[in-house]
Amino acid sequence: MVRLSKWLLKEAGTVVDKTLSDILVCPLSKQALRVCEEPPSLISDSIGVSFPIKDGIPCLVPTDGKILDTDDTMKHDNAADDSANNK
Amino acid sequence: MKCRGTGVEFRVGVRAGYATVVAEWLSGCVMFSGFKEVREDEKSQMVGKVFSNVASNYDLMNDFMSGGLHRLWKDRLDFVCIFVLIISFLSSRCFLYFTCSAQFIRLVSKLSPFPGMKHLDVAGGTGRLSLLNEVYVKNAECAGDVAFRILESVNSIKRRALQDPLNDDLQEETRIHVCDINPNMLDVGKNRALEKGLGEDKSLVWVQGDAEALSFEDNSMDGYTIAFGIRNVTHIEKVLSEAYRVLKRGGRFLCLELSHVDIPVFKELYDFYSFSVIPRLGEIVAGDRESYQYLVESIRRFPPQEKFALMIADAGFQKVEYENLVGGVVAIHSGLKI
Repeated sequence: MVRLSKWLLKEAGTVVDKTLSDILVCPLSKQALRVCEEPPSLISDSIGVSFPIKDGIPCLVPTDGKILDTDDTMKHDNAADDSANNK
Repeated sequence: MKCRGTGVEFRVGVRAGYATVVAEWLSGCVMFSGFKEVREDEKSQMVGKVFSNVASNYDLMNDFMSGGLHRLWKDRLDFVCIFVLIISFLSSRCFLYFTCSAQFIRLVSKLSPFPGMKHLDVAGGTGRLSLLNEVYVKNAECAGDVAFRILESVNSIKRRALQDPLNDDLQEETRIHVCDINPNMLDVGKNRALEKGLGEDKSLVWVQGDAEALSFEDNSMDGYTIAFGIRNVTHIEKVLSEAYRVLKRGGRFLCLELSHVDIPVFKELYDFYSFSVIPRLGEIVAGDRESYQYLVESIRRFPPQEKFALMIADAGFQKVEYENLVGGVVAIHSGLKI
Protein backbone atom coordinates (compact mmCIF):
# COMPACT_ATOMS: atom_id res chain seq x y z
CA MET A 1 0.00 0.00 0.00
CA VAL A 2 2.82 2.35 0.92
CA ARG A 3 4.69 1.50 -2.24
CA LEU A 4 1.54 2.06 -4.28
CA SER A 5 0.92 5.52 -2.81
CA LYS A 6 4.58 6.46 -3.34
CA TRP A 7 4.33 5.36 -6.96
CA LEU A 8 1.10 7.31 -7.36
CA LEU A 9 2.69 10.45 -6.00
CA LYS A 10 5.63 10.05 -8.35
CA GLU A 11 3.28 9.52 -11.27
CA ALA A 12 1.21 12.53 -10.23
CA GLY A 13 4.40 14.55 -10.11
CA THR A 14 5.35 13.71 -13.67
CA VAL A 15 1.81 14.25 -14.92
CA VAL A 16 1.71 17.64 -13.29
CA ASP A 17 5.06 18.53 -14.81
CA LYS A 18 3.85 17.64 -18.29
CA THR A 19 0.73 19.70 -17.79
CA LEU A 20 2.88 22.58 -16.67
CA SER A 21 4.98 22.53 -19.81
CA ASP A 22 1.78 22.56 -21.85
CA ILE A 23 0.37 25.55 -20.01
CA LEU A 24 3.43 27.63 -19.32
CA VAL A 25 5.83 29.47 -21.55
CA CYS A 26 9.12 31.23 -20.92
CA PRO A 27 8.42 34.58 -19.23
CA LEU A 28 11.10 36.28 -21.30
CA SER A 29 10.81 34.84 -24.80
CA LYS A 30 7.20 33.56 -24.49
CA GLN A 31 8.33 30.34 -26.22
CA ALA A 32 7.55 26.78 -25.13
CA LEU A 33 9.27 25.17 -22.16
CA ARG A 34 10.75 21.71 -21.78
CA VAL A 35 10.43 19.64 -18.62
CA CYS A 36 13.65 18.42 -17.03
CA GLU A 37 13.28 15.61 -14.48
CA GLU A 38 16.51 15.90 -12.54
CA PRO A 39 16.80 18.48 -11.06
CA PRO A 40 13.12 19.28 -11.53
CA SER A 41 13.02 22.33 -13.73
CA LEU A 42 11.55 23.90 -16.83
CA ILE A 43 14.00 24.72 -19.57
CA SER A 44 13.59 27.46 -22.11
CA ASP A 45 15.62 26.33 -25.09
CA SER A 46 15.03 29.57 -26.96
CA ILE A 47 17.18 31.58 -24.55
CA GLY A 48 19.02 28.75 -22.79
CA VAL A 49 17.68 29.37 -19.31
CA SER A 50 16.40 26.90 -16.78
CA PHE A 51 13.75 27.71 -14.19
CA PRO A 52 13.57 25.54 -11.06
CA ILE A 53 10.51 23.76 -9.76
CA LYS A 54 10.32 23.84 -5.97
CA ASP A 55 7.75 21.65 -4.18
CA GLY A 56 5.79 21.30 -7.37
CA ILE A 57 5.61 25.06 -7.86
CA PRO A 58 7.48 26.28 -10.96
CA CYS A 59 9.49 29.37 -10.28
CA LEU A 60 9.29 31.48 -13.42
CA VAL A 61 10.50 34.79 -12.12
CA PRO A 62 13.00 36.06 -14.73
CA THR A 63 15.68 36.82 -12.19
CA ASP A 64 15.50 33.28 -10.78
CA GLY A 65 16.47 31.59 -14.00
CA LYS A 66 19.83 29.92 -14.42
CA ILE A 67 21.69 30.28 -17.66
CA LEU A 68 22.71 26.99 -19.23
CA ASP A 69 25.93 26.94 -21.20
CA THR A 70 26.27 24.90 -24.38
CA ASP A 71 27.52 21.85 -22.45
CA ASP A 72 24.27 21.81 -20.46
CA THR A 73 26.05 22.35 -17.15
CA MET A 74 24.40 24.82 -14.81
CA LYS A 75 25.87 28.16 -13.96
CA HIS A 76 24.49 30.24 -11.13
CA ASP A 77 24.11 33.36 -13.19
CA ASN A 78 21.43 35.96 -13.08
CA ALA A 79 19.12 35.58 -16.04
CA ALA A 80 18.37 39.26 -15.87
CA ASP A 81 21.48 39.90 -17.97
CA ASP A 82 20.12 37.51 -20.55
CA SER A 83 16.77 39.23 -20.59
CA ALA A 84 18.48 42.58 -21.04
CA ASN A 85 20.32 41.16 -24.07
CA ASN A 86 17.10 39.76 -25.49
CA LYS A 87 15.32 43.08 -25.16
CA MET B 1 -16.38 75.46 7.80
CA LYS B 2 -19.19 74.05 5.76
CA CYS B 3 -19.54 70.35 5.15
CA ARG B 4 -20.09 69.92 1.44
CA GLY B 5 -21.97 66.70 1.80
CA THR B 6 -24.62 67.84 4.19
CA GLY B 7 -24.50 71.62 4.17
CA VAL B 8 -24.10 71.62 7.92
CA GLU B 9 -22.08 74.58 9.13
CA PHE B 10 -19.89 74.37 12.15
CA ARG B 11 -16.99 76.27 13.64
CA VAL B 12 -13.90 74.28 14.39
CA GLY B 13 -13.08 74.05 18.08
CA VAL B 14 -16.31 75.55 19.28
CA ARG B 15 -19.28 73.68 17.94
CA ALA B 16 -19.12 69.99 17.47
CA GLY B 17 -21.65 68.06 15.53
CA TYR B 18 -22.36 64.79 14.02
CA ALA B 19 -22.08 64.85 10.31
CA THR B 20 -24.36 63.00 8.04
CA VAL B 21 -22.28 60.32 6.49
CA VAL B 22 -23.61 58.34 3.64
CA ALA B 23 -21.42 55.37 3.17
CA GLU B 24 -22.27 53.02 0.38
CA TRP B 25 -21.68 49.45 1.42
CA LEU B 26 -21.74 46.36 -0.60
CA SER B 27 -25.36 45.54 -0.12
CA GLY B 28 -27.30 48.61 0.75
CA CYS B 29 -26.82 52.00 2.22
CA VAL B 30 -26.09 52.81 5.79
CA MET B 31 -26.86 56.30 6.85
CA PHE B 32 -25.80 57.87 10.09
CA SER B 33 -27.00 61.25 11.08
CA GLY B 34 -27.49 63.30 14.12
CA PHE B 35 -26.71 66.67 15.47
CA LYS B 36 -25.53 67.71 18.87
CA GLU B 37 -24.44 71.09 20.06
CA VAL B 38 -22.02 71.42 22.96
CA ARG B 39 -20.34 74.24 24.81
CA GLU B 40 -16.60 74.34 24.82
CA ASP B 41 -16.29 73.42 28.49
CA GLU B 42 -18.39 70.33 28.04
CA LYS B 43 -16.33 69.07 25.13
CA SER B 44 -14.11 66.59 26.96
CA GLN B 45 -17.01 65.26 29.00
CA MET B 46 -18.91 64.66 25.84
CA VAL B 47 -16.02 62.78 24.29
CA GLY B 48 -15.91 60.42 27.23
CA LYS B 49 -19.66 59.92 27.12
CA VAL B 50 -19.63 59.35 23.41
CA PHE B 51 -16.96 56.69 23.64
CA SER B 52 -18.82 54.77 26.29
CA ASN B 53 -21.96 55.17 24.24
CA VAL B 54 -20.26 53.75 21.25
CA ALA B 55 -18.75 50.94 23.24
CA SER B 56 -22.12 49.89 24.49
CA ASN B 57 -23.78 50.25 21.12
CA TYR B 58 -20.94 48.50 19.32
CA ASP B 59 -21.19 50.98 16.55
CA LEU B 60 -18.19 53.15 15.86
CA MET B 61 -19.39 55.03 12.82
CA ASN B 62 -22.57 56.22 14.48
CA ASP B 63 -20.83 58.63 16.79
CA PHE B 64 -17.97 59.87 14.69
CA MET B 65 -17.25 63.52 15.03
CA SER B 66 -15.99 65.83 12.37
CA GLY B 67 -13.18 68.32 12.11
CA GLY B 68 -13.80 70.13 15.37
CA LEU B 69 -12.72 67.28 17.58
CA HIS B 70 -9.88 66.19 15.36
CA ARG B 71 -7.35 68.05 17.46
CA LEU B 72 -8.77 66.58 20.62
CA TRP B 73 -8.45 63.06 19.27
CA LYS B 74 -4.83 63.58 18.36
CA ASP B 75 -4.07 64.06 22.03
CA ARG B 76 -5.90 60.91 22.94
CA LEU B 77 -4.59 58.85 20.07
CA ASP B 78 -3.63 55.79 22.08
CA PHE B 79 -7.04 55.73 23.65
CA VAL B 80 -8.58 55.82 20.21
CA CYS B 81 -6.42 52.99 18.97
CA ILE B 82 -7.17 50.68 21.85
CA PHE B 83 -10.81 51.58 21.59
CA VAL B 84 -10.83 50.73 17.90
CA LEU B 85 -9.18 47.40 18.60
CA ILE B 86 -11.70 46.48 21.28
CA ILE B 87 -14.65 47.53 19.18
CA SER B 88 -13.49 45.55 16.18
CA PHE B 89 -12.86 42.43 18.24
CA LEU B 90 -16.25 42.70 19.88
CA SER B 91 -18.21 43.54 16.82
CA SER B 92 -16.82 41.53 13.96
CA ARG B 93 -20.24 41.61 12.34
CA CYS B 94 -20.18 45.33 12.16
CA PHE B 95 -16.97 45.28 10.20
CA LEU B 96 -18.01 42.52 7.86
CA TYR B 97 -18.14 45.01 5.05
CA PHE B 98 -14.53 45.93 5.68
CA THR B 99 -13.31 42.41 5.27
CA CYS B 100 -11.76 40.93 2.23
CA SER B 101 -14.41 38.22 1.93
CA ALA B 102 -17.11 40.70 1.01
CA GLN B 103 -14.84 42.45 -1.47
CA PHE B 104 -13.65 39.21 -3.02
CA ILE B 105 -17.24 38.01 -3.37
CA ARG B 106 -18.02 41.19 -5.28
CA LEU B 107 -14.93 40.77 -7.43
CA VAL B 108 -15.73 37.17 -8.33
CA SER B 109 -19.36 37.97 -9.10
CA LYS B 110 -18.19 40.46 -11.73
CA LEU B 111 -16.21 37.70 -13.33
CA SER B 112 -19.20 35.40 -14.03
CA PRO B 113 -17.15 32.20 -13.76
CA PHE B 114 -18.12 29.28 -15.99
CA PRO B 115 -17.03 25.64 -16.26
CA GLY B 116 -14.08 25.17 -18.57
CA MET B 117 -12.79 28.68 -18.01
CA LYS B 118 -9.13 29.49 -17.86
CA HIS B 119 -8.42 32.13 -15.29
CA LEU B 120 -5.34 33.86 -14.02
CA ASP B 121 -5.16 35.37 -10.56
CA VAL B 122 -2.05 37.47 -10.15
CA ALA B 123 -0.60 38.37 -6.77
CA GLY B 124 -3.00 35.68 -5.57
CA GLY B 125 -1.09 35.26 -2.41
CA THR B 126 -1.09 38.71 -1.07
CA GLY B 127 -4.82 39.15 -0.35
CA ARG B 128 -4.32 42.32 1.61
CA LEU B 129 -7.49 43.90 2.68
CA SER B 130 -9.18 46.27 4.97
CA LEU B 131 -7.17 48.64 7.02
CA LEU B 132 -8.31 47.15 10.27
CA ASN B 133 -7.63 43.62 9.22
CA GLU B 134 -4.15 44.49 8.11
CA VAL B 135 -3.13 45.12 11.65
CA TYR B 136 -4.07 41.80 13.14
CA VAL B 137 -4.78 39.45 10.29
CA LYS B 138 -1.76 38.15 8.49
CA ASN B 139 -1.81 38.54 4.74
CA ALA B 140 -1.18 34.86 4.29
CA GLU B 141 -4.54 34.03 5.75
CA CYS B 142 -6.11 35.17 2.53
CA ALA B 143 -3.67 33.51 0.18
CA GLY B 144 -5.46 32.02 -2.76
CA ASP B 145 -8.85 33.35 -1.68
CA VAL B 146 -9.88 34.72 -5.05
CA ALA B 147 -8.91 31.47 -6.79
CA PHE B 148 -10.86 29.36 -4.28
CA ARG B 149 -13.97 31.46 -4.69
CA ILE B 150 -13.83 31.22 -8.46
CA LEU B 151 -13.37 27.47 -8.30
CA GLU B 152 -16.22 27.03 -5.85
CA SER B 153 -18.40 29.20 -8.02
CA VAL B 154 -17.60 27.09 -11.08
CA ASN B 155 -18.18 23.85 -9.15
CA SER B 156 -21.53 25.08 -7.91
CA ILE B 157 -22.56 25.76 -11.50
CA LYS B 158 -21.66 22.19 -12.35
CA ARG B 159 -23.83 20.88 -9.53
CA ARG B 160 -26.75 22.93 -10.74
CA ALA B 161 -26.34 21.91 -14.36
CA LEU B 162 -27.81 18.73 -15.77
CA GLN B 163 -25.56 15.73 -15.62
CA ASP B 164 -24.37 15.39 -19.17
CA PRO B 165 -21.03 14.27 -20.59
CA LEU B 166 -20.29 17.59 -22.27
CA ASN B 167 -20.47 19.50 -19.02
CA ASP B 168 -18.28 16.96 -17.26
CA ASP B 169 -15.60 17.42 -19.89
CA LEU B 170 -15.77 21.15 -19.56
CA GLN B 171 -15.43 20.81 -15.82
CA GLU B 172 -12.20 18.90 -16.38
CA GLU B 173 -10.88 21.76 -18.47
CA THR B 174 -11.47 24.48 -15.88
CA ARG B 175 -8.14 25.89 -14.79
CA ILE B 176 -7.43 28.60 -12.29
CA HIS B 177 -3.82 29.71 -12.31
CA VAL B 178 -2.49 31.50 -9.26
CA CYS B 179 0.63 33.53 -9.87
CA ASP B 180 2.61 35.32 -7.18
CA ILE B 181 6.17 36.56 -6.96
CA ASN B 182 6.45 35.29 -3.39
CA PRO B 183 6.88 31.50 -3.02
CA ASN B 184 5.82 31.50 0.63
CA MET B 185 2.43 32.92 -0.24
CA LEU B 186 1.95 30.20 -2.84
CA ASP B 187 2.89 27.52 -0.30
CA VAL B 188 0.37 28.89 2.15
CA GLY B 189 -2.19 29.03 -0.63
CA LYS B 190 -1.50 25.41 -1.56
CA ASN B 191 -1.90 24.33 2.07
CA ARG B 192 -5.14 26.25 2.37
CA ALA B 193 -6.34 24.50 -0.77
CA LEU B 194 -5.59 21.18 0.91
CA GLU B 195 -7.52 22.22 4.00
CA LYS B 196 -10.49 23.18 1.87
CA GLY B 197 -10.34 19.83 0.12
CA LEU B 198 -9.23 21.37 -3.16
CA GLY B 199 -5.77 19.86 -2.93
CA GLU B 200 -6.45 17.05 -5.38
CA ASP B 201 -8.19 19.38 -7.76
CA LYS B 202 -6.14 19.59 -10.91
CA SER B 203 -7.90 22.83 -11.71
CA LEU B 204 -5.59 24.85 -9.47
CA VAL B 205 -2.17 25.64 -10.88
CA TRP B 206 0.32 27.44 -8.67
CA VAL B 207 3.08 29.33 -10.44
CA GLN B 208 5.71 31.63 -9.07
CA GLY B 209 6.19 34.49 -11.46
CA ASP B 210 6.47 38.20 -12.07
CA ALA B 211 3.32 40.09 -13.03
CA GLU B 212 5.45 42.22 -15.36
CA ALA B 213 6.64 39.14 -17.30
CA LEU B 214 3.96 36.47 -17.22
CA SER B 215 4.75 32.93 -18.25
CA PHE B 216 1.48 32.32 -20.08
CA GLU B 217 0.70 32.28 -23.75
CA ASP B 218 -0.96 35.11 -25.60
CA ASN B 219 -4.74 34.98 -25.72
CA SER B 220 -5.01 32.10 -23.29
CA MET B 221 -7.09 33.41 -20.37
CA ASP B 222 -10.80 34.07 -20.07
CA GLY B 223 -10.30 36.16 -16.97
CA TYR B 224 -7.55 38.00 -15.15
CA THR B 225 -7.77 39.26 -11.61
CA ILE B 226 -5.31 41.11 -9.45
CA ALA B 227 -6.43 41.81 -5.91
CA PHE B 228 -4.43 44.22 -3.80
CA GLY B 229 -1.33 43.48 -5.81
CA ILE B 230 -1.00 46.19 -8.41
CA ARG B 231 -0.16 48.81 -5.83
CA ASN B 232 3.09 46.98 -5.08
CA VAL B 233 4.42 46.52 -8.59
CA THR B 234 7.23 48.61 -10.01
CA HIS B 235 5.76 49.25 -13.44
CA ILE B 236 1.99 49.35 -13.55
CA GLU B 237 1.95 49.81 -17.33
CA LYS B 238 3.92 46.60 -17.86
CA VAL B 239 1.52 44.65 -15.67
CA LEU B 240 -1.44 46.05 -17.59
CA SER B 241 0.07 45.25 -20.98
CA GLU B 242 0.93 41.72 -19.86
CA ALA B 243 -2.64 41.32 -18.67
CA TYR B 244 -3.84 42.45 -22.09
CA ARG B 245 -1.51 40.02 -23.79
CA VAL B 246 -2.62 36.88 -21.93
CA LEU B 247 -6.34 37.59 -22.11
CA LYS B 248 -8.43 36.10 -24.89
CA ARG B 249 -10.68 38.29 -26.96
CA GLY B 250 -13.73 38.87 -24.83
CA GLY B 251 -11.67 38.28 -21.72
CA ARG B 252 -12.19 40.42 -18.66
CA PHE B 253 -9.62 42.25 -16.59
CA LEU B 254 -10.49 42.93 -12.96
CA CYS B 255 -8.45 44.81 -10.43
CA LEU B 256 -9.33 45.18 -6.75
CA GLU B 257 -7.26 47.79 -5.00
CA LEU B 258 -7.19 50.29 -2.19
CA SER B 259 -8.04 53.62 -3.71
CA HIS B 260 -8.93 57.23 -3.02
CA VAL B 261 -11.84 58.56 -1.01
CA ASP B 262 -13.68 61.68 -2.12
CA ILE B 263 -16.71 61.89 0.14
CA PRO B 264 -16.20 65.06 2.22
CA VAL B 265 -16.29 64.09 5.88
CA PHE B 266 -15.52 60.45 5.33
CA LYS B 267 -12.32 61.53 3.60
CA GLU B 268 -11.10 63.34 6.72
CA LEU B 269 -12.08 60.36 8.82
CA TYR B 270 -10.20 58.03 6.53
CA ASP B 271 -7.12 60.27 6.42
CA PHE B 272 -7.05 60.51 10.20
CA TYR B 273 -7.50 56.76 10.46
CA SER B 274 -4.77 56.09 7.91
CA PHE B 275 -2.10 58.47 9.09
CA SER B 276 -2.65 58.48 12.83
CA VAL B 277 -4.48 55.37 13.91
CA ILE B 278 -3.02 52.74 11.60
CA PRO B 279 0.69 53.40 12.21
CA ARG B 280 0.06 53.67 15.94
CA LEU B 281 -1.92 50.43 15.88
CA GLY B 282 0.90 48.82 13.92
CA GLU B 283 3.29 49.97 16.61
CA ILE B 284 1.17 48.60 19.43
CA VAL B 285 0.15 45.31 17.86
CA ALA B 286 3.05 44.41 15.58
CA GLY B 287 5.82 46.62 16.88
CA ASP B 288 6.33 47.97 13.39
CA ARG B 289 5.33 51.53 12.72
CA GLU B 290 7.38 52.04 9.56
CA SER B 291 5.75 49.27 7.50
CA TYR B 292 2.28 50.57 8.16
CA GLN B 293 3.37 54.13 7.56
CA TYR B 294 4.77 52.99 4.21
CA LEU B 295 1.62 51.04 3.48
CA VAL B 296 -0.59 54.04 4.04
CA GLU B 297 1.63 56.27 1.94
CA SER B 298 1.75 53.74 -0.88
CA ILE B 299 -2.04 53.76 -0.96
CA ARG B 300 -2.00 57.53 -1.37
CA ARG B 301 0.70 57.36 -4.06
CA PHE B 302 -1.32 54.97 -6.19
CA PRO B 303 -3.18 56.83 -8.96
CA PRO B 304 -6.79 57.80 -8.22
CA GLN B 305 -9.66 55.92 -9.79
CA GLU B 306 -9.99 58.04 -12.93
CA LYS B 307 -6.29 58.10 -13.67
CA PHE B 308 -5.93 54.37 -13.18
CA ALA B 309 -8.92 53.81 -15.46
CA LEU B 310 -7.10 55.84 -18.12
CA MET B 311 -4.01 53.69 -17.70
CA ILE B 312 -6.10 50.56 -18.19
CA ALA B 313 -7.60 52.05 -21.35
CA ASP B 314 -4.11 52.92 -22.59
CA ALA B 315 -3.15 49.28 -22.34
CA GLY B 316 -5.85 48.53 -24.90
CA PHE B 317 -8.84 47.59 -22.79
CA GLN B 318 -12.33 48.69 -23.75
CA LYS B 319 -15.36 49.46 -21.61
CA VAL B 320 -13.17 50.45 -18.72
CA GLU B 321 -15.17 51.19 -15.60
CA TYR B 322 -14.72 51.21 -11.86
CA GLU B 323 -16.87 50.63 -8.82
CA ASN B 324 -16.13 52.16 -5.46
CA LEU B 325 -16.63 50.02 -2.42
CA VAL B 326 -16.78 51.45 1.09
CA GLY B 327 -16.94 54.98 -0.26
CA GLY B 328 -13.77 54.64 -2.33
CA VAL B 329 -11.53 52.95 0.22
CA VAL B 330 -11.51 50.02 -2.18
CA ALA B 331 -12.20 50.17 -5.90
CA ILE B 332 -12.80 47.47 -8.48
CA HIS B 333 -11.61 48.46 -11.95
CA SER B 334 -12.65 46.36 -14.91
CA GLY B 335 -11.92 46.28 -18.60
CA LEU B 336 -12.66 44.09 -21.58
CA LYS B 337 -10.31 42.91 -24.28
CA ILE B 338 -12.23 43.15 -27.49
